[in-house]
Amino acid sequence: MVGRRLGRAADAVALLLVLGVLILPVAWVLLSAFKTRTEVAALPPRLFFTPTLENFVELFGRGDFLDYTWNSLVVSGGSTLFGLALGFPAAFAMAWHRMTWPATATLFARMAPGTLFLLPWLVMFTEVGLTGTRTVLVLTHAVITLPVTIWVLLPYLEGVPRELIESAQIDGARQDQVLLRVVLPVVVPGIVVAAILSFVFSWNYFLFALVLSGLESKTAIVASFNFVGEGVTNWGALMAAAVVIAAPPLILAFLIQRRLVGGLVAGAVKG
Amino acid sequence: MVLPALVFAGAMIVFPFGYAVWLSLSEVSLGQPPRMNGGANYARLIGDPDFWNGLRLTLWLFAVSLSAQLLIGTWLGLLLARSRRAQGLVRTILVSPFMLPPVVIGMMAIVILDPSFGIANWILAQLGLPPRLWLSDPDTVILTVAAIDTWQWTPFVALIVMGGYLSLPHEVFEAAEVDGAQGWQRFHRITLPLLGPTIVTAAVLRSVDLLRFFDVIYITTQGGPGTASMTLNILAFRRGFEFFDLGYASAMMVTLSTIVFGSVLAFSRLRRAVTW
Repeated sequence: MVGRRLGRAADAVALLLVLGVLILPVAWVLLSAFKTRTEVAALPPRLFFTPTLENFVELFGRGDFLDYTWNSLVVSGGSTLFGLALGFPAAFAMAWHRMTWPATATLFARMAPGTLFLLPWLVMFTEVGLTGTRTVLVLTHAVITLPVTIWVLLPYLEGVPRELIESAQIDGARQDQVLLRVVLPVVVPGIVVAAILSFVFSWNYFLFALVLSGLESKTAIVASFNFVGEGVTNWGALMAAAVVIAAPPLILAFLIQRRLVGGLVAGAVKG
Repeated sequence: MVLPALVFAGAMIVFPFGYAVWLSLSEVSLGQPPRMNGGANYARLIGDPDFWNGLRLTLWLFAVSLSAQLLIGTWLGLLLARSRRAQGLVRTILVSPFMLPPVVIGMMAIVILDPSFGIANWILAQLGLPPRLWLSDPDTVILTVAAIDTWQWTPFVALIVMGGYLSLPHEVFEAAEVDGAQGWQRFHRITLPLLGPTIVTAAVLRSVDLLRFFDVIYITTQGGPGTASMTLNILAFRRGFEFFDLGYASAMMVTLSTIVFGSVLAFSRLRRAVTW
């Protein structure tokens, strides 16, 4: 008994240590974002200070950061919708006909290094004059969101009773009606998970926008990276930018906490 | 209904992939159409010390980070399963690192690990330890990168392992207890084999990301100092987009892709071998 109680205490201590290691760097960034210019680099660190919004004022005062945040929203929202528009019908057809090869094929896109596609894309999109637009970013980020959407939705769609669809077909419903009126309402939870994961992946994605965006279409992620490159000496503003770009994925992830890991693993089990 | 997705995949994935392979077999100079040059780009790889350095760093990062994440992740996953605490705030803390944008991870590393103003060296000083050049010491920079990735992704592995463990049939463990299997023996003979497929799944996901590791390195060091953290993906990217050595960069990217696909195939074989 004593041994078991000791074991449990040791477990609790170990868990606390791990959680501390995970949360402290994040907390440090968050604190720094609300410190003044002098406090932020002060050593020994100031744990108690009067929080200030001056870093955020400076960040958004640069004017363009608000535009870049808007770009990020448009690109992530656009590629999420695009991925759903292509992925939902495709995943439905795969579930219905019980074919898996197209899904397996999309894993290819998930595994290949992004750099591999970049050179050809740069040539292709320069050719059609789209480089530097948000459209390019929506299209390239859809290469990430489409496989995620298909793999997350497949198990939900495989769970839709076939009779439900067959009876709708007997009633004379068209394909698109079946899809939107009969299937969609049943798989809303799956759509939510797919949409949130797609949005987060697209929001966080760095490489494609680094090369393919222009001055006007830059995402907040790339703009923040540029701050680092400029050797911005004001860490407060840097940390404020970090907080702004970290908030959407963290909030969205929080909403689907329980299904998050399952969604991220989707595909890896069968592949 | 699959057609639109297939057309999209054809235009955005299959065609560019073919194009990249073709570029990798061509001599590309600006202002001239690409010209096939046999395998000259690949032959050039063999004599390029930067390539071998990149390959060495890529495989090192892969081996060290993957082992660390699987070991600590399995331990943490079982700890979470035992204490049944991975809910609410604890779960939020566990998922936060791998949901953060890599750019944020990079910015965090730059600020915390700054040699003079970062808090990491201040803590070392309080403990009476000498300061370190975390991201600018050529001998240890890759270790720092491995540690950052391990910080970020170990909780992910742990949550996968926890999920796998909680879905195992519990009678097995009760039977083992009755038969007197204890501690290490129980872990080694029963838990680990049963968790085999779960751990391999985590390994596949992590190895794909580790072999093509890009973001955090590019943000913190850009492959430096010198070539001390110039993994294959970083090297290929810089050859392609800074030096516009398109054919050669493509050859590197195709080689890297082959390594990634090869490792995925190897792992799926391994999974079949450990599936019960």
